[in-house]
Amino acid sequence: MNPNDLDFDLLLTPGAWTALWPMITIALGLMMLLAAEVVSSLRPFRSIFFLATLGVAALFELRILAGPESLTDTGGIVLGGALVADATSAVWGLIFLIGTALAFSYSTAYYSGSEARYKDEHDILMLTCPLGMMMMAGAQDLVVFFLGLELLSIPLYILAAYKRSDSKSVEAGLKYFLLGAFSSALFVYGSALLYAELGSVSFGGAAAALAENEMGSLAMTGVGLIVASILFKISVFPFHVWVPDVYQGSPTPVTALMATGTKAAAIAFLLNAFFLLPSSAANLIAVLGIVTMAAGYFGALVQDDLKRMLAYSGIASAGTVILVIAGALANPESLDAARTAALYYIGAYVFTITGAFGLIALFERDGQRFTRLTSLAGLATKRPAMAAAMTIFVLSLGGIPATGGFLGKWFVFSVLVNANMIGFAVIGAVLSVIALAFYLRIVITMWMLPADEAHPIPGADRPLIAGVATAVCVAGVILTGILPGLFI
Amino acid sequence: MFLTALTFLPLLGALAIALLPSADEKKQRIVALATTIVVALLGVVLFAGFDGSSASLQYIVDSAWFALPGAASIPIQFSLGVDGISVLMAVLTALLMPIVILSTWGHIDKRVKEFMIWMLVMETGMLGVFLATDLMLFYFFWEISLVPLYFIVGIWGGERRLYATVKFFLFTLAGSLVMLVGVIWLIYQSKTSNIAELSDFAAALSGTTQGWMFGAFTLAFAIKVPLLPFHTWLADAHTEAPTSGSVVLAGVLLKMGTYGLLRFGIGMFPEAAVTWAPLFMGLGAIGIVYGAFLAMAQTDIKRLIACSSVSHLGYVVLGMFALTQAGLRGSILQMVNHGLSTGMLFLLIGMIYERRHTRAIDQFGGIAASMPMFAMFFVFAVLSSVGLPGLNGFVGEYMILLGSFQASPFWASLAVLGVIFGAVYLLSATRRVLFGPLIHEANAKLTDMVPREIGMCIPIILVSVWIGVAPNTCLGKLDGSIDQLVDRLDGARVALELSNREQEPKLALQLAPKKGQAR
Repeated sequence: MNPNDLDFDLLLTPGAWTALWPMITIALGLMMLLAAEVVSSLRPFRSIFFLATLGVAALFELRILAGPESLTDTGGIVLGGALVADATSAVWGLIFLIGTALAFSYSTAYYSGSEARYKDEHDILMLTCPLGMMMMAGAQDLVVFFLGLELLSIPLYILAAYKRSDSKSVEAGLKYFLLGAFSSALFVYGSALLYAELGSVSFGGAAAALAENEMGSLAMTGVGLIVASILFKISVFPFHVWVPDVYQGSPTPVTALMATGTKAAAIAFLLNAFFLLPSSAANLIAVLGIVTMAAGYFGALVQDDLKRMLAYSGIASAGTVILVIAGALANPESLDAARTAALYYIGAYVFTITGAFGLIALFERDGQRFTRLTSLAGLATKRPAMAAAMTIFVLSLGGIPATGGFLGKWFVFSVLVNANMIGFAVIGAVLSVIALAFYLRIVITMWMLPADEAHPIPGADRPLIAGVATAVCVAGVILTGILPGLFI
Repeated sequence: MFLTALTFLPLLGALAIALLPSADEKKQRIVALATTIVVALLGVVLFAGFDGSSASLQYIVDSAWFALPGAASIPIQFSLGVDGISVLMAVLTALLMPIVILSTWGHIDKRVKEFMIWMLVMETGMLGVFLATDLMLFYFFWEISLVPLYFIVGIWGGERRLYATVKFFLFTLAGSLVMLVGVIWLIYQSKTSNIAELSDFAAALSGTTQGWMFGAFTLAFAIKVPLLPFHTWLADAHTEAPTSGSVVLAGVLLKMGTYGLLRFGIGMFPEAAVTWAPLFMGLGAIGIVYGAFLAMAQTDIKRLIACSSVSHLGYVVLGMFALTQAGLRGSILQMVNHGLSTGMLFLLIGMIYERRHTRAIDQFGGIAASMPMFAMFFVFAVLSSVGLPGLNGFVGEYMILLGSFQASPFWASLAVLGVIFGAVYLLSATRRVLFGPLIHEANAKLTDMVPREIGMCIPIILVSVWIGVAPNTCLGKLDGSIDQLVDRLDGARVALELSNREQEPKLALQLAPKKGQAR
């Protein structure tokens, strides 16, 4: 499109405004936070600004979810085919907002000393993340997606290295940055190749070009590079090796955001850009998913650091959720079911993993940031409520019924089974047994081992906001587990 | 509503206990006991009100739960109901639980609150398994009921409790997850999750498909029972579990496996069941003898009873897969009997363990002199377990042997040998524990059973004698359901016969040219 032809009145339809309001809200909230940094009388209200911004953005997402006419007329596609705002993208948006709110709640009391002094920077960077995620999940155009990707990734690089005095955190930031930059480069290169052949970077244009001609080798290479870069972000085998170090080194609330948001936004993109994937890739992706699950679960078995364990568990979850793409490729009719499955899996996952990382953040807060598995020993007798919450999260990760994790797993497997990929479903199911073997280690440590007297569990008072966040996570896990009707 | 109350009352009790202060152990115990007693009374009402002559579900609860997303949205119902098979299991569960809770007075003295919560959660899970009439709901309860026992063994168990509990959890979960894939396939193929509708759908599937589904389901149940190659987790779990955990495990949890085999393995896939019945009868019969040999070699009395469980459940499976009227009825009755007699044996062993802190058989001997009351109850439990006529065990075993002889004289004969072996190891263990000279001084001063302990055993004895003398009270509840099941099996046999006949000429044709080539 020639820049001179741009007619803003045509682009900014009422629907476009509806679609943009959640993002505009966040942008405004960011400015408020910046202002609060300068005006000292506003400083005490930073947390309220932060959460209120997310809340208002959530209301705008709910308006999109209700499906106003201005949007449904165009199938949710707005801004000349750059962005989609439909029920799916609205639910993704809500997931991002909840995830960010929870991660932020845990971050309020996490930092101490000099780290706490720069907390405003931290908050601003953290609030930028959902903006990037929303753009990624709504993108109907490779360039828009890339903007979102960078808007998410760059703050995360900084946040990962936020604990400047901690060499592990700096290492995490550097690793994440180098590998992230590499994956971004792959994405841009892939987009260029795709553009070279199809003459468009928007999904609409690409789909139209593909309707006329078969996909050539140039575009195919482009798609391959794009998918590889996305798999990097989701942490699917063989692009998963950076995860344990980065998750372990980053500040724990940031890890929680990383583990949910990036993964969710990238999966949302894959489902949007589904038409680019050749259906012959179904088996390949299924194999990748299964191998990723195996790599995650077997890797987790030998860890004794909680954050690393959860990092490997996150890898396995990535492998699980990618299976819906395989199922949808093998059986295109099930694309909608695959979308629901991915949304449900990740929706439940946000509550689960944020809660788990959040509780770890609470432990770390007291004294020497110990995150070893053994530091949980005897938790059940000392802090039964915390142990119970952690157990619920762990059981949800393991996919035991009455938790959201079970239904998420059910929906993912059902996509596979309906695509007649029963073999993969059975292997996935058997791998879940290995998963339980290591999730049970966490439960055993908390409930069945005596407390380690050398490293007593600190009894410091908990900040109220973290308690509320934990309660929300537990409620979320249970409700997604027993009343799925509320969410589907 | 009645069944909803029955199922979730224990969960409510658990919540109530969770709200009590953790120091007030007495109140926690009382709430737990009161809850289970109310549930037991409801169970008796259920039993009395159930009409055994009808095959249809009774006391139905049915309300919408949610719909599975997808092109055809499949409704998942929250539906409970009882038929002849589940009513006995549910009532057994409800009746055993107060006894189990009462037994914890003797051996649970740390973290009482958590223990009571887990026990009550487990009761909800077990009742849910037996009462669910929606497949997804069943699976929910099925997996949930794993968790409480995991904690019970893991926290309050013996020395090797962690090994035992993880083994138990992973073994049973492995089977369950394979079943999960089967469950998903079945629900999406049939577009329903109602077990009755699913059974009709599944019974009409082709033989091969039924075979696969039968395999996926029965693997989970066979591990739970446990059938022969999967039995290794049981001895460990039983040995390490606290007394109350063992009673629940033997009394009810194992029955979930046999119940599943009957309800799903046989009820849903009758053709596959007919095809594979010889295998299961064989595994059952070998399990009887093998379990008996295992039991003979044990030096730990609790492990001995655990191995005898393998043997006794072999009868249940043998009779069930005889697929005859007598076999099926006998096996269901035997599930109840095993729950009563083995449950009581575990209770009694728990009592001497609490007094002597050992379970090694050679540490006892002659304790009949110091504990006459105990000796009487123990002998009763053993006789009920070996099947003395006039007690419950005899009726079940007799019907099973009768039924399986019709189906396979060979395996039935082997099982008869098992009866003899059973008498050998149980009676000799009784002799070594109770009678003979008092070798160990510590045994001379043992206090006899206290009223609480006697009170725990009396109800079991009453029910055992009642079943032994008037088995029709229980068997009568089975009439309608078993008749329907046998009809279904007859239909499957006819269908199999027909399809075999169709295949035979084809086979002959295929074989003929090959012979020609050979020349």
